[in-house]
Amino acid sequence: MTMQSVATDLGGANAPAGAVPGAARRAWARNGPAYLFLLPWLIGFFGLTLGPALASLYLSFTNYDLIRSPDWVGAANYVRIATADPKFAAAMKVTFLYVVLSVPLKLAFALLVAMAFNRGLKGLPVYRAIFYLPSLLGASVAIAVLWRQLFASDGLVNMVLWQLFGIEGPSWISNPNYSLYTLVILSVWQFGSPMIIFLAGLRQIPTDMYEAAEIDGASKARQFWKITLPLLTPVIFFNAVIQTIDAFKAFTPAFIISEGTGGPINSTLFYTLYLYQEAFGFFRMGYASALAWILVVIIAAFTAFSFLSAKYWVHYDD
Amino acid sequence: MTPSMNRRSILKAGAAALSLAALGAPGLALAQEQRLRFLWWGSQERADRTNRALEAYKAAAPQTQIVGEFAGWSDYWPRLATQVAGRNAPDLIQMDYRYIFEYARRGALLPLDEYLGQTLKIEDFGAANIDSGRVDGKLYGINLGVNSSSIAFDAAAWEGTGATPPTPETTWEEFAEAATTFGENKPKPGYYASADAGGVEPAFELWLRQNGKALYTPEGGLGYEPADAAKWFALWADMRERGACVPPDIQALDQLNIETNALTTGKAATAFMHSNQFVGYQALNKAKLTLGPYPKGAKDGPSGHYLKPSMLLSLSAATGGADAAVAFANFLVADIAGAKAIGIERGVPASQAIREALTPELNEVDTAMVDYIALITPGVGPLPAAPPSGAGEIQFVQKRVNEEVGFGQITPEQAGETLHSEASAILQRG
Repeated sequence: MTMQSVATDLGGANAPAGAVPGAARRAWARNGPAYLFLLPWLIGFFGLTLGPALASLYLSFTNYDLIRSPDWVGAANYVRIATADPKFAAAMKVTFLYVVLSVPLKLAFALLVAMAFNRGLKGLPVYRAIFYLPSLLGASVAIAVLWRQLFASDGLVNMVLWQLFGIEGPSWISNPNYSLYTLVILSVWQFGSPMIIFLAGLRQIPTDMYEAAEIDGASKARQFWKITLPLLTPVIFFNAVIQTIDAFKAFTPAFIISEGTGGPINSTLFYTLYLYQEAFGFFRMGYASALAWILVVIIAAFTAFSFLSAKYWVHYDD
Repeated sequence: MTPSMNRRSILKAGAAALSLAALGAPGLALAQEQRLRFLWWGSQERADRTNRALEAYKAAAPQTQIVGEFAGWSDYWPRLATQVAGRNAPDLIQMDYRYIFEYARRGALLPLDEYLGQTLKIEDFGAANIDSGRVDGKLYGINLGVNSSSIAFDAAAWEGTGATPPTPETTWEEFAEAATTFGENKPKPGYYASADAGGVEPAFELWLRQNGKALYTPEGGLGYEPADAAKWFALWADMRERGACVPPDIQALDQLNIETNALTTGKAATAFMHSNQFVGYQALNKAKLTLGPYPKGAKDGPSGHYLKPSMLLSLSAATGGADAAVAFANFLVADIAGAKAIGIERGVPASQAIREALTPELNEVDTAMVDYIALITPGVGPLPAAPPSGAGEIQFVQKRVNEEVGFGQITPEQAGETLHSEASAILQRG
């Protein structure tokens, strides 16, 4: 028995004969196997993503302490978030600051490196792999721990500052004036994946455009602003959207570096960290669910805004 | 096989047979041995000792297999809450006095009264040490050891600076004076006499008790006024200003565990901790440490100390093997073999018989802990009122508020107000 016939048979089992008109039956016979192959993903999507998401939507209207059954409280959680939660405001501030700082810096850095690579470096694949590495490691616990060591009072950063400049640096990660910026640097350091995408985008730009500009006497800077950047806007757009969503969802570095407290003085209290504290630290799963849905709305709004604004600044060559 | 059977029904039958087999396998295993999970928080030292106890129990009760899991203090509670919510609670749960009320009142723990005096032989704990595991009259936790708040310090480092190390008679004022001297003559830059305990809840509680106040009233309200908290924050602001304790950016590295305390990281010569943690502290510190009581409010005033269960052992209400779990709990606290394995790292055993049996086994560090408990026992006060629902969150507020003072964002007076009002709001929310 071939795979095909098993699939068709199972398809038949799901769609009993007689109830299905001929056309639909034929369509099913044609697409059934495809759905069968999609099944693992579909099960994952409905069971592990959509189901829990809907459950959390319900829980966001309840008081739920994880142990006893949830109590319906209507919109009380949302009202509290909007009117009487200073920690929500603090978390919002930290998260927005992080997004606003880390995304543009990371994209600029990624583009810079991509342009350097695009000039035809010897051994490019090796460099590309090396520079991509931090993106793979960045979200890991080990790197967050390493960051803690780098930016602690007697960490490597201060050692270098002391040896080279005679400056006695503070404990960067545990000083509320600097702690968030160490996390921004951590994020910028993980520039690998936007860099790879930029590199691919740069490769797409026809070289004859640069040649023509060269002949017309355009400087390198002018070529960058008038050719590279406009033609790269679809890639910039894509990277910006993906990185913004990622930045809103940042969790691991802050969790490890502040040991889940968001400290010192809530200076690294990322939104997701606050949500986590409420849910698992203080047994307020209903409230945390409401927080989660607000984050969903914020990210959706940002993404929608990006797409709406795209027609004013993103140039597709068609 | 009948002729009417087609491929589909064969598939169905096959699937049914497979799932039966899957169900049957663990069923068979269960008949042979009981598998229980034990979750605790603590350091590597505790894990080593607990694993030795699990090994010893394997010999004593081969039909029970106990699987241990452990986490650091701050990861422990999220993990436990998640497992309980996911109907996957560990059978044996190391429990804290602060959290036992939250879990017991939500029905997550098993009352143990019916085992008391039967398979759970802890009568010789004494009423006080049994009752500290009771919630609303029912026994939900077995005392795993007695401890009290304490300080641990590197006496040689203190003496090296010409400062007098703390004694049981030292007052807060004398402590601050000596710590200032320490700071003036410190052996290396970035090294201080003391960690900053302004954000440490047990330290605040002890200080309140010295001043006739408490963290919580029996009715579940706050047992202090904003002015009291302001005085506490001012005490530490003064310490920082005099260079007597670590600066705020060093204190902020402390994650409320032994490994990251300023004493262990070589930034301070004194830590404020629980007496049972002395074993863990000494294991991680090269310098010889001394264990002692807190500085006093006044020479003839109360010490503020009380004896409390350093931790309790609870059973999940959902455990499938209550009898086996109780037997293991009994092994840990009432059987010499089990008690020897865990030693007194979780606190001094409540059982007189076990304490006596362990005495010949004790090393210098253990003896210091037993002696410490004996030293403070005559002056201890009663166990404080049970922490109300929501109390778990207030410790983080205190830590944050102390940091705000440390980094100069607010004054100690404002800090007192802030802590009091935020703590009240949290208690109201429950």
